[in-house]
Amino acid sequence: MRIVIAEDSAILREGLAQLLAVRGHDILAAVADADALLDAVTREPPDVAIIDIRLPPGHTDEGLRAAIRLRRDNPGVGVLIFSQYVETAFVAELLAGGSEGVGYLLKERVVELDDFVDALHRIAAGGTALDPDVVTQLVGRSRHRDQLAELTAREREVLALMAQGRTNTAVAAALRVTERAVEKHVTNIFTKFGLAPSDTDHRRVLAVIRYLQG
Amino acid sequence: MSAPAARRTWTGLAYLLLALPLDVVAALVLLAGGLLGAALLITPLGLWVLALVLRAANGLGGWRRGLAARLLGEQVPAPPRPQDRGGVLRWRRAVLTDPAGWRAFAYAMAKLPVSVLSLFAGTLGYVYGLTALTYFPLQEHRFGSWGLALARWLTGLALLVLAPWLLRPVLNVERMLIRGLLGPSRAAQRITELRETRDRAVIDADATLRRIERDLHDGAQARLIGVGMHLTMARELLAAEASPERLRAEIDTARAALTEAVAELRDLVRGIHPPVLDRGLAAALATVTAGSALPVTTTVELARRPPPAVESMVYFTACELLTNANRHSGARSVEMSLSFDDEILRLRVRDDGRGGAHPRPGGGLAGLAERVRTVDGRLVIDSPAGGPTTVTVEIPGPAPAERR
Repeated sequence: MRIVIAEDSAILREGLAQLLAVRGHDILAAVADADALLDAVTREPPDVAIIDIRLPPGHTDEGLRAAIRLRRDNPGVGVLIFSQYVETAFVAELLAGGSEGVGYLLKERVVELDDFVDALHRIAAGGTALDPDVVTQLVGRSRHRDQLAELTAREREVLALMAQGRTNTAVAAALRVTERAVEKHVTNIFTKFGLAPSDTDHRRVLAVIRYLQG
Repeated sequence: MSAPAARRTWTGLAYLLLALPLDVVAALVLLAGGLLGAALLITPLGLWVLALVLRAANGLGGWRRGLAARLLGEQVPAPPRPQDRGGVLRWRRAVLTDPAGWRAFAYAMAKLPVSVLSLFAGTLGYVYGLTALTYFPLQEHRFGSWGLALARWLTGLALLVLAPWLLRPVLNVERMLIRGLLGPSRAAQRITELRETRDRAVIDADATLRRIERDLHDGAQARLIGVGMHLTMARELLAAEASPERLRAEIDTARAALTEAVAELRDLVRGIHPPVLDRGLAAALATVTAGSALPVTTTVELARRPPPAVESMVYFTACELLTNANRHSGARSVEMSLSFDDEILRLRVRDDGRGGAHPRPGGGLAGLAERVRTVDGRLVIDSPAGGPTTVTVEIPGPAPAERR
């Protein structure tokens, strides 16, 4: 994958670039602010841009603003929001433009490099990667508590993994069950939520997230 | 001797001339109204008349504050307005219970004797002086001798020259009355002060929390994630069977980053609450002075331990004053003394530097003074150009919560 990194902390920017380079990815640019990020992407569009939410000068949500702009101007570039904290309001804003090719992960997830790289691949391929904490918060704040209470323990596990953006195959592997069993759980969840079943992985993530946010 | 022609003499005179007739009329009208209202108290009308009288007194008071500000340069803030939302009965109640109205009424009454005094002083100085001065050349034949005429002329001149000094005490009485009766009462001033210092404390607390969040986010938290990245890197190198040197270098980097993270956390904790402060101010200040580049002589005399919040404030104030002395004063030594005699806690930091320290808006010293004010304390800077600089902080003994 070709990757651009926007992260103002030098330690994390370089650490991340080294780790991804070791895994054979091309770091096209590693920059420290939003303007440099947009320049780099315009110059040579990557497969994925990894963007810290807090960037200079204000250190508030400059990264998120840049990510939203980048998604509008370069729909082909996947965007991973890379943050030290989970804020569902930011997630909602990011997903407002669709869930194709976006992700939101806590920075410490890098430590599980296999999962992290897997999430990047998913985003690059137009999929979704949401942090487990994001999903937990969405579920915790959802107004559909009654319907959530109807889910079995296994269905809740499947829901969490599905909302993170994982495919049926990945969910099956994580839970050590067959894909056939996962498909059955997914159908049950959609029925209990009263949602029309979706064929593709992408669309069903959006459906689930919208449902939880609603 | 420029007083007779000075601008403030003329504005003062103009003030008295404007005020005199108005004061007499206002006092008589208000007095009559007040008496009428009091007499009518046996009927429902009495309270309404009283309310109108008080409202009028208040209005006149406001007009008088404006006049005093323009002509006497006496800036007196308006007393806080009572809330009189909705309904005439509420309005009446608000006016009758508002101390500002009663005080304005008292002002109008007090002005009666003061007006007589100012009339006397003004007449003696200007009217009699001017008359004596101008009688002589026109009607000389009425005087027995030239000597007597000259004496009278000189008296007139002297009175005119001295008139400003005759009027000054009158104006001073007027200033006192305006400040005391038309401005906010002592309680209202205290409320304003408490509101200001409370706002300051809230803003301070918020800024502190934001700073801590930022420090953690950019400092220790980022470093710890960095440690995780280096360890992950070490694992990658291990899997790729890289050379032991590369692996060792990566682990060493992780260890160094971890040490830095711990150091940052320690600094942050010290900035929130230094653990040594639990053992008292003497021990805490000894630790601080030991780290100072300038030699510091410290004297601590504490009859008993101040409340923890005061200890903390004194500690951080002492730290900042010491830092200032180190950074800006060019001093060769610093003396720090701390005493607490049950009444007042007094911190004094004195350096033999170049002096000239003064609080700038938004600066460190101004911030310290503001913070000390939140516990009714004060910060006094004595720093003549050329030095030495002495900063004294005084905080009343008991904790604010204990004081009633």
